[in-house]
Amino acid sequence: MRKTLALTLAALCALGTAGQALAATRLLETGSSLLYPLLNIWVAAYQKNDHAVQITTQSTGSGTGISQAISGVAQIGASDAYMPDGAMKSTPMLNIPLAISAQQINYNIPGLNNVHLNFSGPVLAGIYSGKIRYWNDSAIKAMNHDVAGKLPHQPIVPIHRTDGSGDTFIFSQYLSKSTPSWANGPGFGTTISWPGVSNAVGANGNPGMVQTCKHTRYSIAYIGVSFLNETNKAGLGYAALKNRDGHYVLPTAANIHAAAASMVGHTPKDDRISLVFAPGANSYPIINYEYAIVNPKQGNATVANSLKAFLNWAISANGGQQAHFLDAVHFLPLPGPVIAKSKAQIESIR
Amino acid sequence: MIAKPWRIQRVGAQAVLRTVTITMAAVSFAVIFLMLAFLVIYAYPAIRFNGLGFLTGTIWNIGNQYGSGSVSHNGYAAMPGAQFGALVFIYGTLMTSGLTMVFAVPFAILVALALVYRVHPALKPLANALVELMSGIPSVVYGLWGMIVLVPWISNSVGPFAEAHLGFIPFVGGGAGSGDGLLAATFILVLMVTPIMVATIRDVIQSQSETIFEASMALGSTTWQAVTRGVLPSVRAGILGSLLIAFGRALGETMAVLMVCGGAINIFPHNLFQPVNTIAAVIVSQLESALTDSSGMAQRSLAELAVVLFVITLSVNVVARTVLRGTDRDGNRA
Repeated sequence: MRKTLALTLAALCALGTAGQALAATRLLETGSSLLYPLLNIWVAAYQKNDHAVQITTQSTGSGTGISQAISGVAQIGASDAYMPDGAMKSTPMLNIPLAISAQQINYNIPGLNNVHLNFSGPVLAGIYSGKIRYWNDSAIKAMNHDVAGKLPHQPIVPIHRTDGSGDTFIFSQYLSKSTPSWANGPGFGTTISWPGVSNAVGANGNPGMVQTCKHTRYSIAYIGVSFLNETNKAGLGYAALKNRDGHYVLPTAANIHAAAASMVGHTPKDDRISLVFAPGANSYPIINYEYAIVNPKQGNATVANSLKAFLNWAISANGGQQAHFLDAVHFLPLPGPVIAKSKAQIESIR
Repeated sequence: MIAKPWRIQRVGAQAVLRTVTITMAAVSFAVIFLMLAFLVIYAYPAIRFNGLGFLTGTIWNIGNQYGSGSVSHNGYAAMPGAQFGALVFIYGTLMTSGLTMVFAVPFAILVALALVYRVHPALKPLANALVELMSGIPSVVYGLWGMIVLVPWISNSVGPFAEAHLGFIPFVGGGAGSGDGLLAATFILVLMVTPIMVATIRDVIQSQSETIFEASMALGSTTWQAVTRGVLPSVRAGILGSLLIAFGRALGETMAVLMVCGGAINIFPHNLFQPVNTIAAVIVSQLESALTDSSGMAQRSLAELAVVLFVITLSVNVVARTVLRGTDRDGNRA
C-alpha cells in the first residue's frame, strides 16, 4: 500500500517536472466569448512553431477578461469593448486591436425573411424604447417602400442581451450616435438599463439570441457577425442599416472594410475608439475592434517577451491576420496603419 | 475499585463528545453569520448609496461607464445615471418560487402517495429510481431543455390556446410573446423541485404511517379517508420540511431560471407569459458588466441583492421552523 503511494507520488513529481521542462512560459488568455473561437485557432497554429510557450485560452466574458488582466491573473484579457476613461485612469492598460468584427440586425417576420429590410438608428431606438410598437408603423414603412404593403400589423418583439456583452455595447453605441434621445436616455455600455417595453425579451448570449429570434415570430435582434452561419441556418432575415451619410448598407465584407478604412485616420495612439456610425457612402455602421487588454508592466522579462511574440504574430499579415484564420469566424483583418499602431503598443510591454 | 477508572474514562469521553458537538454546532452558526457579515460589509457602500429606495425602486441602471463625472449619495459615488432598485427582482424571485410551490406541493404529495400505496410492488424500484434520478439532473440540463423545447412550445401552443380560451382569467390573457418568462421559469422549477419533495414525503409516509393507514382501514374508512384524515396529518411535519427544502431550492435556482426567464429589467410582468427576472439570475447576468464599473458600485449593489436573497431564504427558514415547532408541540396536529 505504502509502496504504491510512494510510486504514485514519484510518478506525479516526474510528470510535474516534465511539464515544466516542456513549457518554459505559460500565458493565460481569458475573456470575450466572441474572440474565443479565433484565439483557439490562433493558439493551435502558433504553438506548432513556438514550443517554448504554452498558451491557455478561456471563454469567460469581456468584463472578466479586463478585470483578470488588471489583477494579473491573465496576461491577455480579450474584450469586445475598449476600456472606459475612468478605468484607464486608475489602471492604465494597453488596448490592442486584434481584428475587426461587425453586427447584424436580424428579424423573424414570416414571409419577409428573404428581404433585406431597411432600418435607421432612430427607428431601432424607437422599437427598443417602445415608441414604435407594430411592424406596419409609418416610420418603418417610410424606409421600406418596396414591401410597405407586406409589413404586418403585428407587435414587434425586441430581443436584447441580458448578460454583459460587446454586442450590446456596439448596438447601443449605434443608437446613441444616431439618436440624441437615446444618448440622453439609456446611453451605451456592455450592459444598459433597457427601457421597460412590455413585449421586450432578454436572451442569454448570442446562441440565446439566435434561438429566441428563431422561435419568436415578429421579433428583432442584434447578433454578432460570428454567428452568421447560425442566423442563416435559422432562416432569419438581416437588415440594411442607414449609415452616417444616409445610405442603407448591408454587412458585406466590402462595406465593413469601407467603414474601417474611413476610421483609420481617427484611430488614436492608444487605439481606444468606437468604429460605430463611421462616415463614408458605403460604410456599414455597426463594426468594432476586438481587443486584447494587456498590462504593459508584466514584471517578468520571459513572460513579456513571449507575450510580445504571440501578439506580434497575431496582428501580422502573414501570421494571425491571414484570411483562413479570420474567415472561420467572419472577422476582418486590421487595416495596415492600425497594425503599425498596435505594434508600437506591443513594443511597450515590459 | 474496578468501576472507578471506567467511570472517569466515560466522563472524559462524554466531555470530549460534548465539546466536539458543541463546537460543530457553533461552527455551522459561525459560517452563516460570517457569510452574512462578509456580504453586508462588502455591500455597505451600496447600502448607503441606495438607501431604502433599493427595496422599492424598479429601475436598475449601472450608470454610464463611458461617461465623465459621477453621482454620489451619502458620500458614496457611482457612475453618472446609476440607480439601483431591486423590486422587480424581489418580485420575480417570490413570484416564481411561490407559483412553483402552488403547483409542486399538491403534485408531489399525490405522487408520493401513489408511490407508497398504488404503484405495483414490482414497479416500485423502477419508479423510485426515476424519482431519484430526476432530482439529480443538473439544473443546466433542465434549462437547456426549457430553452429548446419548453419555451417554443409555450410560445406556439400554450400561449395562443390560453389567449383564445382562458383569456378571461386575470393574468392569463394578453398574448404569449416569445414564451420566455414567468410560466416557463415556474414550469422548470416545478420539474426541478417536485422530485426532491416526492423523495422526502415518500420516505416519511413509508416510515411513519403504515400502521396509521392500516388502522384506519381496519376501522372501516375508505382509502381517501385513511389518507386525508390519518396519514397526511401524521406526516405534516415531514411535508413542511420537504416544502422548506424545495422552496429554498427554488429561491436560489440560478442557471435554469436564467435560461428561460426572459431577463426582465425595469418592468413587471403583466401576465403569466411575460419575462421576469430573479435575484439569483440577475446577479449572474449583470456580474460581467459590473466587473468593469470603475466606481465599483455595480458590484456592491449586486452584493446588496445577494444580502436580500440571503435574508429572504433565512426568513423562510425561520418561519417554517417556527411552524414546525408548533406542530410538534401539539403532537403533529396543528
